[in-house]
Amino acid sequence: MTAVPKGLSDEEAFEALFTAEYARVVGIANRVLADPHEAEDVAQEIFIDFHRLHSATAEYAPAWLHRAAAHASLNRLRGARRRQKREFAQALEAEDKTLDPQKQAEVAEDRRRLRDALGRLAPKPAAVLVLRASGLSYAEVAQALGIGIGQIGTLLRRAEATLRKEVSRGTSN
Amino acid sequence: MAHLTEGTLRRMVDDPDAKVGADAAHLDGCAECQARFKLASEDARSVATLLAVPEAPFDVDKAFARVTGAPKAQPTLGLRFPILRPAARPTLALVAAVVAAAVVVVAFAFSGFFFKPATVKPVPVTVADIQALSQLADYGTITWTKQPDLHVVTSPTEAADAAAGVQPPTVSGLPSGISTNITYAAMPQAQAVFTFSADKAATAAASHGKTLPSMPAGMDGATLTITVGPAVGEIFGTLSQPAGSSANDISLPQLVVAKSAAPTATSTQVTVTQLEDFILAQPGISPELKKAVEAIGDPSTTLLIPVPIEYANSTQVTVQGVDGVALGDNTGVGSGVVWVKDGFVYLVAGSLKQSDAINIANNLK
Repeated sequence: MTAVPKGLSDEEAFEALFTAEYARVVGIANRVLADPHEAEDVAQEIFIDFHRLHSATAEYAPAWLHRAAAHASLNRLRGARRRQKREFAQALEAEDKTLDPQKQAEVAEDRRRLRDALGRLAPKPAAVLVLRASGLSYAEVAQALGIGIGQIGTLLRRAEATLRKEVSRGTSN
Repeated sequence: MAHLTEGTLRRMVDDPDAKVGADAAHLDGCAECQARFKLASEDARSVATLLAVPEAPFDVDKAFARVTGAPKAQPTLGLRFPILRPAARPTLALVAAVVAAAVVVVAFAFSGFFFKPATVKPVPVTVADIQALSQLADYGTITWTKQPDLHVVTSPTEAADAAAGVQPPTVSGLPSGISTNITYAAMPQAQAVFTFSADKAATAAASHGKTLPSMPAGMDGATLTITVGPAVGEIFGTLSQPAGSSANDISLPQLVVAKSAAPTATSTQVTVTQLEDFILAQPGISPELKKAVEAIGDPSTTLLIPVPIEYANSTQVTVQGVDGVALGDNTGVGSGVVWVKDGFVYLVAGSLKQSDAINIANNLK
């Protein structure tokens, strides 16, 4: 986790924090929302909130940002299910051009179903999954969410088992 | 050896180095765990594939300009974060929680010197002003004649028993997402006596390079007895510390509802007004705070809610038919409402919208 060097002015420290963490915060939000523009909106709102309330030199700054990114984007996901079909299709378009159209449609449907289920998952396992999938280490996830590192594997397993079941159930229907 | 836990197996999927020692030996020789490990691997891979997204393109410089150019709206209840940082022990975490009451505790420490309040009013202060209050110990001696003694219990009946019969309020109209896992806390009446010392006050003033303001007759040796509570609190959310976790792993509550007998203060040798004037004249108290406190009106009937101007905003609201102070805003980051009714101070605070906090407050019974 990035620490802002000491001895900087408040504004310099915030810029250093922003530069170090912006990509990761956008990445977390994009992982959940599968929409780069909305992910940037979320990330910027988070940094604006952080900037108003906290010092960039605070030790907890990166953890705060990661936690906020997971929760804010999951909240958006829960409130925006009806828009998901279109968004996930867009995200897929950019990635899976090698697949034939039918396969593309199937994967798109699985992704839609997965994010739908992610929005229904309990907040803690959902946040653990999202942060871990965004490349945070077990220690970083534990710190961001204020939980024991020993719990991460359990929560991750629970989230993945639930999501896979839900996606498979949809596929078999 | 018992079978490996799901958590251990999942970690082994992520980190081959986790396959060591007795766990690795067990996995090698246990067909059941191998099958579970395989399933965990497949679930992890499948979910990771479906969660994968193309990297979001962005321009950091533009984004930074947008963020720093955002209008400086009134900050929300940011004070919550530093004050409610996870504490060293669950009990301390609970204390910290009861005090999203940051506001109320600060109010006790501060306004406790003046009042038996019937209403509340916000006072804008700086954090430096609040910190300066701890220096009051430089002007005399503080002795607890009844130590604050927090009890953590599991039922409202036990809370009422521990708090001299003060019943925890009944909460209704909870917004969705708030945990219904409730922990109760109770504090019997606590009492502190502050005895002014002219010698200590003079020394303190000298340390600021200033002389002691002229002291009202009888101030030296005057006592002020402050009584707080009994009080009860309800904390919604999980407070337990997971086994094997570190001291920083305590979850913070989503909602705190607290009710306390209104604090009272009695003085000897000087009047409360003399006391107020004298305290405000001390070195280290900013002119801004002095001005704000003077604007309050009758200090013996008003509970001052210090609102740190760097972190929180406040608005006057009507709660349960009386004047109250609402802190925070509608972002859901944090908000609270404090009011005084029928001799009790009430607080509703948490990670919720101000409108939700006010709604809960109005439905409190």
